[in-house]
Amino acid sequence: MAGHGDSSSSQKKSSEVMNDVPTFSAENLQNNMKVIYYSRTFMSIIGGVIAGILGFTGFMGFIFYFLVMAVTSIGLIAKSKFSVHSYFDSWNRIILDGFMGGLMSFVLFWTFAYDIVHIF
Amino acid sequence: MAEDLVLDTAIRDWVLIPLSVVMVLIGILRYFVSKLMRSSQVPDPKIVKEGQVIVRARNLRAGANFIPPKSFRSRRVYFSNEENGLLFVPKGQAQNAQAQMFSDPNMAMDMMKKNLSMIIPQTLTFAWVNFFFSGFVAAKIPFPLTQRFRSMLQNGIDLSTVDVSYVSSRSWYFLNLFGLRGLFSLILGEENAMDDTQRMMQMSGFGFDPAKSLSAEKDGLDIIQHEWALPKFEHRAEEVLKKLIR
Repeated sequence: MAGHGDSSSSQKKSSEVMNDVPTFSAENLQNNMKVIYYSRTFMSIIGGVIAGILGFTGFMGFIFYFLVMAVTSIGLIAKSKFSVHSYFDSWNRIILDGFMGGLMSFVLFWTFAYDIVHIF
Repeated sequence: MAEDLVLDTAIRDWVLIPLSVVMVLIGILRYFVSKLMRSSQVPDPKIVKEGQVIVRARNLRAGANFIPPKSFRSRRVYFSNEENGLLFVPKGQAQNAQAQMFSDPNMAMDMMKKNLSMIIPQTLTFAWVNFFFSGFVAAKIPFPLTQRFRSMLQNGIDLSTVDVSYVSSRSWYFLNLFGLRGLFSLILGEENAMDDTQRMMQMSGFGFDPAKSLSAEKDGLDIIQHEWALPKFEHRAEEVLKKLIR
């Protein structure tokens, strides 16, 4: 993951004390959200360029996008050492957040790279 | 029927790349301009005070279970007391706040400036694109679309047999508009991206904010049931220590 230049801002523990009523440090939670957003955006840009260069068209390209998103999710889960609940408040965040925004960037860079390489 | 059109290299050099570069530069320019224009704004003390009261009430709600019942109740009464509680805003005063917000010249000017700085570069760039870059095929989208998109995407091209994937530069402009948001948030750091829809929503909801959020906080505080966590702490500490010993 370090090879992809993953944004090296660290994730902070957002629930230190696991009470019966779990408490979250809102500031850390927000910081973790930002980290997810940056990672997603970056990976979708890189993924778009790769898809364009390799010449994916149609559905293959979108499947590649889902693949890239899945890899990003797995990377984030691994970075939080598999204890997702002490860094985020729900599963959906780490898997689904930032999906749509990343899609637009992916399509832009995919079109760009595809055109430059294949219809040059 | 998907013949592969061979497009002129000059289109790549003189249309796609300059358009993207121009949009990135305009975004950066707009960010700096908005930063410059925002520096002269003295915060109104009354609004700041109300904001802090809201933050205090929210903290009380979040930490309600960690303080003894009596002190929680006394704090709650302090906030939501009918006569002089901090969160209780009589109806007449609420309306006043909104009217004051809109007739205050500084605030109105600020909102208008922000709106304009959002709309004008987009309009100008769109007009520029239409004037210079129309009438030819600019790019090919890598995925197929239905025929209904043809009128939207192939605006300057008057042939109807060309594949819908070949689009005009207007659609390249829109693609850039949406796709560069992510890039801006990476370059310009921390959510300074061009979230125009978000900002417009913020604009419209700003004037009436204090009164409504005060009563919302008061309702939230009234609802809360106090459940003191202290008796369970000893139990929890015992469990943690047991785990450590093993």
